[in-house]
Amino acid sequence: MIIIGLSFLTYLLMYISPGDPALKKLNAQGITVSEETLEAAREEMGLNEPFLARYANWLSNALTGDLGASYKDGLPVANKLMHAMRYTLILSAASLAVSLIISLPLAVITAVKKDGVLDNIVRLLSFIGNSLPNFLISVLLMYFFCVKTDLLPVIADESVKGLILPCLALTIPMCARFLRQFRAEVLEQLGRDYVLGARARGVKSSVILFKNVLHNAAIPILTIVALSVGTLLGGSVVVETIFRWPGIGKLVMDSITARDYPVIQGFVIFTSCIYVLINLAADLCYRRLDPRVGQM
Amino acid sequence: MKKRIIALMLALIMVLSLAACSSNDNGAADDGEKILHVAESFAYPSLDAHKEYYGWYTSIYGITEALFKMGDDSSVQPCLAEKAEVSDDNLTWTVTLKDGISFSNGNAVTAENVIANLKRCGEVNVRFAQFADYEYKAVSDKEFTITTDEIYPTLVNDLASPEMAIMDLDATEDIDNAPIATGPFVIKSFVPEGTVEVSRNDNYWGGDVKLDGAVFYYMQDDESKLMAMQNGEIDCYTSVTAAAKEIFDASPDKYTVTDIPATRLQFYMLNQNRLSDELRQAINLTVDCDAIASYLNGTVTAAVGPFGTSTAYGKVTKPAVDTAAAKAAIEEAGYTLGSDGIYEKDGQDLKLNICYYPARSLDSLALLIQEQLKAIGVDSYLTSQEDADATYIISGDYDIALYCMIADKNGDPYYFIDTVLRPGGYWASAGFESDKANELIAKLQVETDSAERARLANEIVQLAIDDNAIGCVGLFNNITVSAKNVSGIYENCPFDFYRIDADTDM
Repeated sequence: MIIIGLSFLTYLLMYISPGDPALKKLNAQGITVSEETLEAAREEMGLNEPFLARYANWLSNALTGDLGASYKDGLPVANKLMHAMRYTLILSAASLAVSLIISLPLAVITAVKKDGVLDNIVRLLSFIGNSLPNFLISVLLMYFFCVKTDLLPVIADESVKGLILPCLALTIPMCARFLRQFRAEVLEQLGRDYVLGARARGVKSSVILFKNVLHNAAIPILTIVALSVGTLLGGSVVVETIFRWPGIGKLVMDSITARDYPVIQGFVIFTSCIYVLINLAADLCYRRLDPRVGQM
Repeated sequence: MKKRIIALMLALIMVLSLAACSSNDNGAADDGEKILHVAESFAYPSLDAHKEYYGWYTSIYGITEALFKMGDDSSVQPCLAEKAEVSDDNLTWTVTLKDGISFSNGNAVTAENVIANLKRCGEVNVRFAQFADYEYKAVSDKEFTITTDEIYPTLVNDLASPEMAIMDLDATEDIDNAPIATGPFVIKSFVPEGTVEVSRNDNYWGGDVKLDGAVFYYMQDDESKLMAMQNGEIDCYTSVTAAAKEIFDASPDKYTVTDIPATRLQFYMLNQNRLSDELRQAINLTVDCDAIASYLNGTVTAAVGPFGTSTAYGKVTKPAVDTAAAKAAIEEAGYTLGSDGIYEKDGQDLKLNICYYPARSLDSLALLIQEQLKAIGVDSYLTSQEDADATYIISGDYDIALYCMIADKNGDPYYFIDTVLRPGGYWASAGFESDKANELIAKLQVETDSAERARLANEIVQLAIDDNAIGCVGLFNNITVSAKNVSGIYENCPFDFYRIDADTDM
């Protein structure tokens, strides 16, 4: 229902937005548009049908996996999305993995050693990381690694070398955000009465930390990670454009500029499905982590 | 729990390994070969030169050629064809092909091949639809005729369009990915909307090709292009930004920067249905195109008319900026300067609606024009529309309408005049109407002599300028940067569809 509701809303928004896709398509071809040419193009693109009929037609095709053809190049939307999603998945998985590997242990250490030197340094760095816009991080990384030190090429294509910089560009702000949020969660758990009680009973600090504190902090941490995965899979236009990474963010931005409605609509459905699936996966994980969730 | 963590880590490593498997490292050495590396801002999903604008890029890649080509001075020059002559009734053109032209597979190019290509282009590209209906006749292997149903003075210019490329349609098996054509290069690898590699055509009919090949990278971001150039990963690119130009200009020993006015025009139309003659005159006397070009930091050249002044049809004049005369004109229209410094009439401030769309620096242009008008006492407000064609151009709801277009598509002035100055033209919503201009436009429509066409065009545009129907602000510059050892990359050509040919060297 959520997905159908979203698809209807997007279809409606595109329908009421100014601009005629047929006109846009013809202008893109440099054609001096006459009323007849425009009418023929509208007919061909099915734009003369009533709104609800167009939407119903689109929905019935979408349910069979046919998301239509791109206005821009006539290619099937599903193929375009799948091709771009492959690259977005690679980039997202890499940056999420690196972010978790860095931020999770650091958050725990800084929470345990609160107000220590490392904590202050990490907090400062995470403040800077949160403040820097993505395009600036990308350009700075490229300048330092490609121009100044010549460690990596500017033009790296979709290789492992090409993955390093876009992955870092996404990892730096994500790490900064994770660090602050994970640290806060661990700190909150450390301040709970059960930690004081366990300590009073002489339970080892490492046992309290790894068996109790981290276990109890896992649910909010999982929520943060799940939300980030959703955002990552929506693509990052800036990073993808700067590093020539052919992901889904760039595809959808190009489609919005060209008023390529079938691709935009397909993207909304595609990402909605991903969000729903991720939320479902997170819910299932909550039950495993805390059986009380299932009893509510 | 540990097992799960290990499983998760392994899964992540597998995903990363998949990325590694698809590795396509282009940093490989060129083994001493002369390979030119170029960054391009656009890329298309197909190499079928006849479709859409794809022919621009197959021409840029050096794969396809047309019967004629455009010169640096916007004149039409022979390419695969030696000449085209028109009959006395101006309806039948006889085109003679050059001797010894062949496709990259060694097959000779015949008149029949060419006719098949022109017909196909007409069938698959709406802009050239008329070519599907013309009558063709192969007189010999080297000569054919095209008979049009009405006089078509710009036929040779259209035959120079890169979409009119000649390909071996019989031998080509995959026209979207590997067309066989006549250019100095052949396709080596093609990623739709991605990187394109070409190698030398050893059978090139035009003689030796100096480069061994070229690689065209699709790079949209200006900073990436700048850094790739600084890093030596690309040898040239065009559409250099003003900021990057400054950086390259500072190292003249490493880079050659060429900056020429091209064919993309920024202009405005003054709505004659709303603005009196005096007000339109005042606006044109106030808008300082040199100051705007200077503000836009070298990315545009101040324009006089819609076409470059080096073309035969770009010989028009306009009055110099004169704010005192502008104020006098406004006062002549019955306006008086109010205490707030704004002209008013019958208690109403003079306030104009400036419409623009936020692309091609038109947003900056709108602001600058607003400031310049305010300095003489004309107030205005800005209306931004995402899609000009669907809004203010159709409705005519504006005082000043900003627009940007390629005014000179193929070395001929008719397109701009037909669409902007002819009553009923697609962008002619400002109400410009002159019997004299209409008469001249009708003549231009059928005139075949290029010198006479230029004379007619100059007269028509001058009438529009004198009537203050339009104001031409700037022509976007084609700024190209190349490494010092690179030559012959069409850096002085105002058209966007050429980059490498047999003479390109490094």
